[in-house]
Amino acid sequence: MKVDQENRIVYRWSLALAGLTFPLIWLGGLVTTHDAGMAVPDWPGTYGYNLFLYPLSTWLFGPFDLLVEHGHRLLASVVGLMAIILCFIAWRCESRGWVQRLCWLLLLAVISQGLLGGIRVLLDERVVALIHGVGGPLVFSLACWIVMVNSRDWKVANSNLNVSGLRWITRALFLISICQLVLGAHLRHALPTWQPTLFVSFVHTHLLLALMITLCIFLSAILVFFRPYRAHRELRLPAMLLVGIVIAQVALGLGTWITNYALPWPELNAFFANYTIAGRGFWESMIINGHQATGSLLIVFSLWLLCRIERRCVASRFANISIQNEVTEVIAGNRTNPVLAGPGVS
Amino acid sequence: MTATKSFTISTAEAYTLIVVLAFLLAGCSKPVFSPNRLATAAFLQSHEAPSIEEISISANNLTNQLFGTPDAPLWPESLDQVVDFDGVKRSAGPVGRAHDRVERGLYRKHCVQCHGITGDGAGPAAILLAPYARDFRRGTFKFKSTPIGSKPTKADLIHTIEHGIAGTSMPAFAPLRNRDEFAKDIEAVTEYVIYLSIRGEVERRLIRSATGDESQLTIQDALKEAAIVVDTWKQADQKVQAVPSIPTLDRDSLAASVARGKELFNSDKTACFKCHGTEGRGDGISQDYDEWTKDWTIRAGIDPASKSEWKVMKKFGALKPVVNRSRNLHLGAIRGGHSVETITKRIVLGIDGTPMPSAAIGEASPNSLKSEELADLVRFVASIANVKQTEEMTQGTSVAHHAGGRDES
Ligand code: HEC
Ligand code: HEC
Repeated sequence: MKVDQENRIVYRWSLALAGLTFPLIWLGGLVTTHDAGMAVPDWPGTYGYNLFLYPLSTWLFGPFDLLVEHGHRLLASVVGLMAIILCFIAWRCESRGWVQRLCWLLLLAVISQGLLGGIRVLLDERVVALIHGVGGPLVFSLACWIVMVNSRDWKVANSNLNVSGLRWITRALFLISICQLVLGAHLRHALPTWQPTLFVSFVHTHLLLALMITLCIFLSAILVFFRPYRAHRELRLPAMLLVGIVIAQVALGLGTWITNYALPWPELNAFFANYTIAGRGFWESMIINGHQATGSLLIVFSLWLLCRIERRCVASRFANISIQNEVTEVIAGNRTNPVLAGPGVS
Repeated sequence: MTATKSFTISTAEAYTLIVVLAFLLAGCSKPVFSPNRLATAAFLQSHEAPSIEEISISANNLTNQLFGTPDAPLWPESLDQVVDFDGVKRSAGPVGRAHDRVERGLYRKHCVQCHGITGDGAGPAAILLAPYARDFRRGTFKFKSTPIGSKPTKADLIHTIEHGIAGTSMPAFAPLRNRDEFAKDIEAVTEYVIYLSIRGEVERRLIRSATGDESQLTIQDALKEAAIVVDTWKQADQKVQAVPSIPTLDRDSLAASVARGKELFNSDKTACFKCHGTEGRGDGISQDYDEWTKDWTIRAGIDPASKSEWKVMKKFGALKPVVNRSRNLHLGAIRGGHSVETITKRIVLGIDGTPMPSAAIGEASPNSLKSEELADLVRFVASIANVKQTEEMTQGTSVAHHAGGRDES
């Protein structure tokens, strides 16, 4: 039971880390929405102060963009510290080498994100902001992946699926969502020097991928209710949540378009004709930010579905080999460390 | 476990690659004021002339000598200070705040994605907007208190930027006023719009004179053109044309006035119906383009309606020509401002750069509108556009409007 319990520590700590990464992404999004990236001109210090010693009053009651930017930096360093501790915990308690390496990778990713953020400020380059913006959700997904491979479901999942239709759909979904993230970042961080035709092609691709993602999600949400996936009721929760998220995401995407570029067809009716964008309005920035944050949720939830399905497919390198013959034993709690399976084993 | 090993190595590789890429990309995106090739091609009436490149570049270089770059704007000493140059400097350059905590880069923060670095209305999002974002370089603005052909006043521009343009992508930046640290940003960015407009118009004028004769452009030519353009901006305040205020009426007289206005609207004297349709639904003849489009199409011998013809100009940055439709006034979207006063301004002054003409006002000539007639016309437009004429009278207006509609059928 001991190892099992220690695994719970990795699980809980990584969960806390992932839980903090989401607000970090949200804050990072606010930095972009409010163009606050350069609200503090130096790095790693803040206006000459040490990051942690910047006076509270000027931070909290100063300009909003300074609040956001400095807050983003503070939270990021907390996440960085947590990633260091996670590596330590994993080194002590995690028996699967690849999961340990995953934790190191996360630390490396968090550090690179921090450096990228610093480079963005020091060089004052929007291209770096774009890469930093893509990096955020990727770090978030990595943190969530660590949570998932330490979850109870990962341990007790039963690998007996011989078909892989849903597996391929989910893989495609995950990959397309990542591409969508990159495209979205391009739209959001559009460089002033870009040709209009380039921007239009990004918009069109973004719409096309949105359609593909929606199709993948609805397809998987239907498939999980049919054989052979029906028996695996655990697939339903991520699939259903994905449906909710994609609906919200499409709505937020439309909202983002409208709050940035106005309603199409102003001749349609009086409401359309009279709509004026509020530049820098509060709700406008919340919608834009929400679209970006929900986008990273979508990636993470498709990863969740992917983990659950990969773990259940016999053909997958993540198949729960060790458990195949011993399911009953584990559930009864007779075995101490059922979690040996991983990429190395297959 | 070999598989995992190679996995770590490739991560390290990928990591270095990303960092290297970040640095490489970082070097290659300096914004510059781009040469006005479209205007050059249009003035030369050619899309193949070798001199297009030469003329547009030399005009661009001279203009940059006078006015600097997007990161470091200049103002020639010999020119009158029509812009507040502190505002210009604060709006130029990349977004952010320096150690002095002064907000800078306002234009790139708020405007560049539509209006473009050069103010050419060709920012990255340009194609997706209808109407297209304003190209400031022509020096033409639609919604102002001065007659067609004159420059707007600063107050006009500030009003547009603060309140936006309903039914278009031009946002209202009024929310900036809610925060102390941004409260003066609209004024600052307005100075920059004027700066970009002057810069662009000087460049255009240089191109026109270079395409007209063979001699090389010099910095003296540039200064001369700059002085002319600056002078037009200086005169803006004197050019303001006061429009008569429209007296409010009680319900019955208003209904009668609206009915007379409708008649005028459909008369040959005003010819409003020809474009806006008899009911003002924007369904008259509407085949015309705006001046920005005509510059490089009709005036350059190109039919804007024929794709095979205008296509040749795409390589100079031309966007697809779009008909400047007459407005459906029933939608109530009075883009220049939703009030009786702004409607009066639009009718008396016209909308510069568009087919919308200014109405001739005067008591003497039979062809011009007398002030009573103007009032009738304004009241009719206000009533169909659902613009409040006074608190108590809105109801009367809509009644009158429906009555008017029934008369027709
Ligand atoms: C989302 C796109 C967009 C953004 C951002 C934007 N504009 Fe515009 N702007 C437009 C469009 C479209 C028009 C043309 C509307 C029309 O022709 O009726 C316009 C027109 C204008 C005009 C011309 C008004 C006139 O009377 O002719 C000015 C001045 C202007 N914008 C200034 C600004 C400034 C300053 C900013 C930044 C603070 C800005 N715009 C940001 C889209 C935008
Ligand atoms: C040659 C065609 C033409 C004629 C004649 C014409 N208009 Fe227009 N009108 C237009 C166009 C085109 C627009 C849209 C301009 C733009 O792009 O914003 C317009 C816009 C308007 C607007 C909207 C102004 C705003 O602020 O949004 C009003 C009001 C208007 N016209 C009233 C009239 C009246 C009254 C008359 C008769 C005196 C008239 N028009 C005659 C073409 C015309």
